[in-house]
Amino acid sequence: MVGAVRRCQARPVTPRVVIVDDHAPFRSLARRLLVAGGLSVVGEAADGAGALAAVRALAPDVVLLDVQLPDLDGFAVAELLAGEPDAPVVVLVSSRALLDYGSRVAASTARGFIAKADLSSETLLHVIRGPGRPVPCSG
Amino acid sequence: MQRLRRRTRATLAAAGAAAGVAAAGALVWGGYRVPADLLAPTLVLDLAVGWSFIGVGLVAWTRRPDSRTGLLMVVLGFAWFARFAVAVDTRTGFVVGVLVGSVHLSVLVHLLVTFPGGRVQDRGQRVLVTVGYLLSAPLDAVFLVVFGAQRQLGEGPPPNGLVIAPSNGEFDPSGVDLAVQGVVVVLFVSLLATVFTRWRSAGPAQRRGLTPGALGAALIVVTILVERTAVLLLIPPAVGVALAWSAEVVLVVWPLALLLGLLRSQLDRSAVSRLIVELGAGLPVPERLRSALAATLHDPSLELAYWLPERRTFVDPAGAPVRVAPARDRALTYLERDGRQIAVLVHDPALAGEPELVAAVAAGAGLAVENDRLHAEVRSRLREVQASRARIVEAADGARRRVERDLHDGAQQRLVTVALALRLARTQVGTASSAELAALLDEAGAELAGALDELRELARGIHPVLLTDAGLGPALESLAERCPVPAVVAAVPARRWAEAVEQTCYFVVSEALANAVKHAGAAQVVVEVRETAGRLRVEVGDDGAGGADVSGSGLRGLADRVATLGGELTVHSPRSGGTRVIATVPCA
Repeated sequence: MVGAVRRCQARPVTPRVVIVDDHAPFRSLARRLLVAGGLSVVGEAADGAGALAAVRALAPDVVLLDVQLPDLDGFAVAELLAGEPDAPVVVLVSSRALLDYGSRVAASTARGFIAKADLSSETLLHVIRGPGRPVPCSG
Repeated sequence: MQRLRRRTRATLAAAGAAAGVAAAGALVWGGYRVPADLLAPTLVLDLAVGWSFIGVGLVAWTRRPDSRTGLLMVVLGFAWFARFAVAVDTRTGFVVGVLVGSVHLSVLVHLLVTFPGGRVQDRGQRVLVTVGYLLSAPLDAVFLVVFGAQRQLGEGPPPNGLVIAPSNGEFDPSGVDLAVQGVVVVLFVSLLATVFTRWRSAGPAQRRGLTPGALGAALIVVTILVERTAVLLLIPPAVGVALAWSAEVVLVVWPLALLLGLLRSQLDRSAVSRLIVELGAGLPVPERLRSALAATLHDPSLELAYWLPERRTFVDPAGAPVRVAPARDRALTYLERDGRQIAVLVHDPALAGEPELVAAVAAGAGLAVENDRLHAEVRSRLREVQASRARIVEAADGARRRVERDLHDGAQQRLVTVALALRLARTQVGTASSAELAALLDEAGAELAGALDELRELARGIHPVLLTDAGLGPALESLAERCPVPAVVAAVPARRWAEAVEQTCYFVVSEALANAVKHAGAAQVVVEVRETAGRLRVEVGDDGAGGADVSGSGLRGLADRVATLGGELTVHSPRSGGTRVIATVPCA
């Protein structure tokens, strides 16, 4: 418990996030929601290529990545991002449920998955800390 | 080659008989002394050879008027007798006899090179035949004029090797003689090579016709070759004489071998009876009829394709469409029954020379072929039904996939946004101004309205409720109103039809309108619905780019759908000529 708290505190206080989704209204709302929750949104991208470019330019800590993109799908983009130097933590989002993707999320290089309707800074932080990590850490 | 008239045949036969008699007369009373022991065998054999060629040639000419072989055999027979002019002990007899003395060999070459058609077919054959003729009369003429060949008047046997006897004088050939003999040997060797090559490359059907003639020919040519080169091979004169006699014996029988080759098909009538018995033995299975026909026609490569008049196409016995086109090494024979085309045989071109056999086989197998054709037609329909069933299932799956995607990309996406907006509003209650909150709630409201619109559109696409409630006319009007391109619906009868009929017509118009907007870039669309004689006819015409892909999934799906009702879909879509989609569906 103590160790967990220490590790938690060792992280940057506000993770820097890039949002990747081809649906502009979602990007706008997600940004406002995360900012209201105390996170820092440093950039947005509408497709896989844009996501790669944004990660190279901005070096974010977290990429919030939609599974359904017009060029590559989210799993492929996550794979590419994992190969980058200083790879960011990738969290997949979709308007579908985790169930719809079966074991694909677990098999991917992404840290976790959030259904879009459940998105908030709390859920995002919870996923970033990974499975089995104590929740209280997020405060 | 035209058919040999009966009178011509009689005249030729009489002339042949007379020529034989004249030749015999020349030999006996011509003035030369023929050794008594050689006279009878010479007479018998020579008459047999000449008459054999003329007689058998006339038969061949009559039975196979399409081949020139018969004519060549008759000419050879006459040439055989003509050389007996040399036996007449006069200057004229000598000159004529020497000139025509070896014409029969030239005709023999011609006959061998061109058997069984009797016509020169390529350059190599032309060269051989021409050289063959140049070596006879023209060369002999040169010898007569240039070297002034002399005859020994009234002494010894007739000159020019007319009577086969050991050469009594010592052999002292000049250079010219040797050269001529050399050319003759080369000619005969290439002749052998030609005959062998042709026999080897022939298909089984063709080989049947070639074999007897080729065998005899090889025998004759080899004998002549050995005889000509006897001196060089140091063969004793007695052996040479024996060879010359045997060559003549073969010459007597050879015309019959040629005739056998020409008429083999006609001797094969019994095979047709066997075929009929075999076909009657049970229900035909696809491969059996083909193999029975192939065996009867001696052509293992034979293929059979059935004509389906409705679909205007040939299919194989399994019902799969096949392309039937003339090819260089394949011949086509169309089979008819009661004046209607029912099938086509694709076979070895050699069989084209045996039309009687093919006709007999076709007649014998007619019922079985018609029977099998019906089977093939059923199989072809079954294939078509299986294919369309697969396509219909595929189309249904595709439609469900599209609904899921439309839901996900459309309404679901918007509802997610609404949920997020509400959550954001919830977190900002107390901190944000009421104007900011109101803006956020407006945003959520707009997204919700959009989601509702999309859900309505999607539901209408799945099933147009107006169609069930108000019928085809109002449903099509509504479809036209929502179409981004000006669409006019002209006169839809105000009545109701079976649900399946209305649905199908609706989807034809819906798909055609979508194509006109998406692919054709049309500026105007006209929809017309008419009912005539128990059939509902829906036509959608646009003024767009045309060139629609009829085998594309959209139109293919429509055609399948129309076909399930026993209807028909036709598409006229010339490049840059607009598109007309016409569906006709039974509606009584």
